[in-house]
Amino acid sequence: MTPERLYEVLAKYAESQGIRLNKDREYVLEILEGLLTNESRYGYRSCPCRLATGIREKDADIICPCIYRDPDIKEYGSCYCRLYVSGEWNEEKIKHIKVPERKPGNIKEADAA
Amino acid sequence: MADQNKKVRLYALSTCPECKRVKQFLDKRNIKYELIDVDLLDSGEQWVTSKELKRYNPEVTYPTLVIEETIKGLDEEAIRNALGIE
Repeated sequence: MTPERLYEVLAKYAESQGIRLNKDREYVLEILEGLLTNESRYGYRSCPCRLATGIREKDADIICPCIYRDPDIKEYGSCYCRLYVSGEWNEEKIKHIKVPERKPGNIKEADAA
Repeated sequence: MADQNKKVRLYALSTCPECKRVKQFLDKRNIKYELIDVDLLDSGEQWVTSKELKRYNPEVTYPTLVIEETIKGLDEEAIRNALGIE
């Protein structure tokens, strides 16, 4: 799988979900390259914008599309990574802001120590 | 930057496009910085580095850029400048 091929697949998938891929194709291809790197590294496509543990069960929430995508698109018009966006976001009808991390307890193990 | 008196450290992920943009921003301006691609560290180093990062950014998100300034002695002007106060 190449980033370009994945782009084609996910563009169709996004449309089917009523959302879009970020219109910045170059940026999207970089995200997809990260996704594919994580797939070969961990065996699953974890979010390239977050640190994965490498344990599938622990990373279940950040396997792309992450479980935070839909609420983030609803609230901010884009997911945390700016891979998936709403049509309005792409058309710049809504302000592009840095989406805050919705994933709780990023450092649970360190907190417990 | 000829006279860089600030220490710059970038906590990043090698897979993250936004991290790459920050690297490009710094590289373009010849800023010297310590780059830590946390995803490329082994798990023990990741744990230690995440704890370190949490001191600066409790959310532990990437990229996080830390710019540190050291002021020796009583240098009120330098302190004002560093804190952005009058």
